[in-house]
Amino acid sequence: MFRFLSQTGKYFLLLKKVFSRPEKPSVYFRQTLFELHNLGFNSVGIISIISFFMGAVIVLQTAYNTENPIYPTYLIGLTCRDMLLLEFSSTVSGLILAGKVGSSIASEIGTMRVTEQIDALEMMGVNSASYLILPKIIATLLFNPVLTLLSIVVGTLGGWLAGSTAGVITSEDFIYGIQYAFIPYYVTYAIIKTLIFAFIITSISSFQGYFVEGGSLEVGRASTRAVVFSSVLILLFNVILTQTMLS
Amino acid sequence: MIRITGLEKAFSGKVVLHDINVSFESGKTNLIIGKSGSGKTVLLKSIAGLHEPDKGEVWFGDILFNKLDFNSKKEIRKEMGMLFQGSALFDSLTVEQNVKFPLDMFTGQTPEEKIDRVNFCLNRVGIVNANKLFPSELSGGMKKRVAIARAIALNPRFLFCDEPNSGLDPITAIMIDALIRELTEEYSMTTIINTHDMNSVIEIGENIVFINDGYICWEGNKDEVLRSGNELLNEFIFANSMARHLLSPQKSED
Repeated sequence: MFRFLSQTGKYFLLLKKVFSRPEKPSVYFRQTLFELHNLGFNSVGIISIISFFMGAVIVLQTAYNTENPIYPTYLIGLTCRDMLLLEFSSTVSGLILAGKVGSSIASEIGTMRVTEQIDALEMMGVNSASYLILPKIIATLLFNPVLTLLSIVVGTLGGWLAGSTAGVITSEDFIYGIQYAFIPYYVTYAIIKTLIFAFIITSISSFQGYFVEGGSLEVGRASTRAVVFSSVLILLFNVILTQTMLS
Repeated sequence: MIRITGLEKAFSGKVVLHDINVSFESGKTNLIIGKSGSGKTVLLKSIAGLHEPDKGEVWFGDILFNKLDFNSKKEIRKEMGMLFQGSALFDSLTVEQNVKFPLDMFTGQTPEEKIDRVNFCLNRVGIVNANKLFPSELSGGMKKRVAIARAIALNPRFLFCDEPNSGLDPITAIMIDALIRELTEEYSMTTIINTHDMNSVIEIGENIVFINDGYICWEGNKDEVLRSGNELLNEFIFANSMARHLLSPQKSED
């Protein structure tokens, strides 16, 4: 319990340091652009591939488990849309990014710590926490919503392709289904969840990397902890946000 | 000048530095020598502000450095340069970007002025045609020299070197020592070097502090170090047979 409280305190003290005034905004801006490419654009591929196949599976599973004349087939399209919007594109993408981006952040910052690069920044008078972490947080807050929207579009496309190719739903029914009873608030809900998950992934992973002590073994452990803690917190906040935003 | 009074530091209850009182003069190469694990690096990092001392005072000139707040410390740190044991160059930046980094962060110079300064510093440490290389493409000696170039980019008043010769061949080590001494004299910096390299002690030890198990056991200079009469220091200096053969006072008198 004491360890949990001390780690939580350390985490918030780190955040205080991260959100202090940057030494040179132009340098931070350049670093943010670099992180947008590194953490954002580089995740487009994996998110697209996974979303495409998940959309396809959602449609096929829904079709095979609702084979009943009572259910109109356009409900398959509606189910695909709502599953992507409500859970998959924000939460499951968040978990995937916790693995990809989270481990990358923790190992990058952890390696900088054990090779004294963070000490070198501090020696120069640079706020190392802010310089290393703030651009990453800004980049993921800006780009992860784009990834979520991309995931919704690609997942829907995957569902439509799989459904029409397997012959479980016609294109007309699918398109009707994805437009039927559309609630725009679900998009807002997905974006808000994405923003919170992006902050969790980046800040938790940075925290794990920043306080690494030892060598490469500890960097590996920090990287694993970053993924585990980020994933658990994403799932916890998913429950809290679902209850508070959809109830 | 840097002055340390009553400095103590412990980690998890284990005291690493005991009541350290010492002064380091400007324009001189000040050496901290001692065995591995004797507390040299902790002392250097406590002076540089990378470790917070548990007790004692660290004075930079007439400024009590370790009692300053975060922002005031940042201002003083702009006047410090540090050469780390593993060079600590930023992996993702080229040689040029590494040396330019402090200029980008803390000066309002134009891009041309910054490049001029970078080239001057790199030339000063003998690095040519390597601006676009990444640290992973450099040899150990080149990394150290680039790290020195980065450390002097902002004309620091204080230079800290943590085992600058570790992992280097004797010829490159002598070159690095000579470079540090020249820069110290040229910029009249207060330079503190951690080392257990006896060659450095003999070559550039203008002021030497011997530390053992966290205590300062001896102070002097390179002319006195071989005839100190201090048992612990002699044990350290004449640890290997080459040193015993070449440096022992009896041998010198012969």
